Amino acid sequence: MVALPHFDESSQRPSIEPDSAKADSAEALLEAHAVTVDYPGVRALDAVSITFRGGEIHAVVGENGAGKSTMMNVLSGVVRPTLGRLTMKGIPTEFTRPSDAIRAGIAMVHQELHLIETLNVAENVMLGREPTRFFGFAVDRASQRTRAGQLLRMLGSDLNLSTTASELSIAQAQFVEIAKCLASDAQVLIFDEPTAVLGECDSDRLFTVMRRLRDEGRCIVFISHHLDEVIAVADRISVLRDGRLVQSFQREADGVIRGKDGIAADEGTLAHAMVGRELESIYPAKGSASGARAAIELVDFGARRKSHGISLSVAPGEILGIAGLVGSGRTETAEAIVGLRQRDGVVRIDGCEVQFATVRAAKQAGVAYVSEDRKGRGLHTTLSSLCNMTLPSLDACTKLGGLLIDSKSERKISQHWINAFQIRCARPMQPISSLSGGNQQKFALARWLETKPKVLIIDEPTRGVDVGARGEIYRIIAKLASDGLACIVISSELPELIGIAHRVVVMRLGTIAGEVPRDRLALADCQERIVRIASGLPEENEHRQ
Amino acid sequence: MNPRISHAVRETQRTLERWGVLVAFIILFVVSTAKQGFDFFNPENFRSLLNSNAPVGILAVGMTLVIISAGIDLSVGSMVVLAAAIGMTAMNALIEHGTSELNAVLLGGAITILAGTAAGAFNGVLIVFGRIAPFIATLGGLAAFRSMSLAIADAGEIRSQSATMFSALGRGGIPLPGLENSAGKPLTLSISTVIFFVVAAIAQWFLSRSRFGRQLVAVGANEMAARYAGISVSWVRLRVYTVMGLLAGIAALAQSSRMNSVSTAQLGLGSELDAIAAVVIGGTSLRGGFGRVWGTVVGVLILGMITNILTISGVSPYWQGAVKGAVIVLAVLVQRSSRE
Repeated sequence: MVALPHFDESSQRPSIEPDSAKADSAEALLEAHAVTVDYPGVRALDAVSITFRGGEIHAVVGENGAGKSTMMNVLSGVVRPTLGRLTMKGIPTEFTRPSDAIRAGIAMVHQELHLIETLNVAENVMLGREPTRFFGFAVDRASQRTRAGQLLRMLGSDLNLSTTASELSIAQAQFVEIAKCLASDAQVLIFDEPTAVLGECDSDRLFTVMRRLRDEGRCIVFISHHLDEVIAVADRISVLRDGRLVQSFQREADGVIRGKDGIAADEGTLAHAMVGRELESIYPAKGSASGARAAIELVDFGARRKSHGISLSVAPGEILGIAGLVGSGRTETAEAIVGLRQRDGVVRIDGCEVQFATVRAAKQAGVAYVSEDRKGRGLHTTLSSLCNMTLPSLDACTKLGGLLIDSKSERKISQHWINAFQIRCARPMQPISSLSGGNQQKFALARWLETKPKVLIIDEPTRGVDVGARGEIYRIIAKLASDGLACIVISSELPELIGIAHRVVVMRLGTIAGEVPRDRLALADCQERIVRIASGLPEENEHRQ
Repeated sequence: MNPRISHAVRETQRTLERWGVLVAFIILFVVSTAKQGFDFFNPENFRSLLNSNAPVGILAVGMTLVIISAGIDLSVGSMVVLAAAIGMTAMNALIEHGTSELNAVLLGGAITILAGTAAGAFNGVLIVFGRIAPFIATLGGLAAFRSMSLAIADAGEIRSQSATMFSALGRGGIPLPGLENSAGKPLTLSISTVIFFVVAAIAQWFLSRSRFGRQLVAVGANEMAARYAGISVSWVRLRVYTVMGLLAGIAALAQSSRMNSVSTAQLGLGSELDAIAAVVIGGTSLRGGFGRVWGTVVGVLILGMITNILTISGVSPYWQGAVKGAVIVLAVLVQRSSRE
């Protein structure tokens, strides 16, 4: 290793040093000392020092591209730091591969779950550390089940051990994944955006588990875009910006999170630290729906076996929010509208009854659906951004009777949207996977807008999108609506729905359970009301009546 | 590792991945001509290489498209023999019924190509509407098409009844201006070689410039995402297997006219493996979603040259498969690195 010029630099910035000067009762488990990671042409991390202690939930926040993922990759042995080092319980360690980190007691709970779908819960939990009999020749199934059962109970989960992994919900699968980490006796558990795929209730259960693991003396590293969650559960918060540790916060004895200056921190403080500037309200002003006849109308509609009896209509210029728990049939209904699933009931576009057999037919009638699963369905991650941009509208930029692609107009279309949405993208042939979540989402929106839809259905518009880009996406949606597009926004984030929608329909068990009209969206108890409808409780809180 | 060195390593890997197949080709070409007496500039070597590998090359071009769509076609060799057997049987029947030789040859040729296209379309229907995995559906074709052609000729050889015209098609060619072979006759590029290049050029052009090519890549890269983008995945897949059949028909015509007969037990035997090998050596991803026809063309030539070198060096034909296998595995190893 070369002597580190950055080391001196970093010591000149006292604010970013780990608070080692302060005597801390908790034991330092894993420490990063001036870790620097260089990628070709980019310094992803610049002399970052963070101490992760046992018995704390340590949140790492930052915009996309701030270096969070790189930091986690260093901790879990995926990436080796260019400069700097790691110590585990004070002992210098070097991870050359992920299995080194796992052996040292660092486990990562990935955003994409890695269960083996054909094995059952017990087998998945104990995967790779099966208890054996007959000198290691046979798996001891009985003690495998016992041990897996113990681990799951530690998490407060009562999952059936014989359930096959493919039948688990995302939340359940996540519990199995966590139990797997415990089986390897991990001391440091890294949760990479665990709540991105969970509904409100499941998130709360997850936080309970995280607190329980913390109380056992483990260190929980928590990465999230949801600053409210971070404020609620973290004991310590490290904020990264442009590869540097810019600020850290700590929960004091009185339970309030404070920065070094002793001032209590809230979401605004964090957001400010993340982006380095004040954020105005990220929700744009709501325009008024034109109130003309409905652009899209559903009558007794449903996705077969997933949802039923849905009747609603959206006028041009209106933004309809659809709330509900994960699994309430929102996505399935949207997919049924555009012909991705079998359906019952009637869809009317501009008053004419339609039955779309394919997405292509829906597209031609002016209905577009932007999927919640950006990596798996919404975009082709291995293809260039240019290919992705024009894929739904390919028919429109061809020559010679649809035979050849008109590459000139293809580039023009791509450039038009890159400018219109201020997409940060070096060159059109760049693989779309190299863009940040926010820029990818803008691409996903733009490619469908290029098909000139009358009705736009956006599923989870800001999943995996950082704070800065979120506001931009909300403004884009508001602008589209004011230009006369009928928008349906499906989201699990209530503040977002309340912030941008004209009215919110709440789904539960595959059908509409209630609706919050525009005048009630402004009320303070609105969020609670939606949660109550979504979980089947009476709409009004009793003691208030 | 020093970042500058690791950067250089990564760049080298990337370059190798992109151009490795050409580097390998040039090395083999030098070695190959050296073995034949250091006659690097003798175009005859090249010509004979091309002429003998053109039929497999035509198949490999189609296989590239199929593999880009994340599919596979194991039945190409059997499609070749079936198309050739049907075509030649029809041509002989026509000649026996007194049709003029020219008409019989033209009709027989057309029937060969049509039979191949039909077999390919049949594969496509099984895969798309029968929802059978391409590997299984075409494994069925591999057995069934061969068996049908064996039944047509009782496992024997079908000899062409066309006295001159049909074989003229196979043996004829375009003379290369200013080049002569050792016997002093003008050097010719066989018609099948020309077809191979034309087919490859059209396929490469279609792949990179046409709407079908773009859809093919999209379906291969992520079928689900393609469906969500409004691409008709069934229609794309049906077409690519039909095109594969069409090319198998053309390859069948090239083979049967060159031999002026169809040996139902031997023709096209194992050529599905040669075609897949050429595609893989050429740098097309077996997972689909990425590929290049020009790489496949070079891959075909590399495979041909390896056989050539081994034969000239006196390596037993029994060992040649082992060397080919090693080359295929090596090609995948070199090209895998940075795309992971």
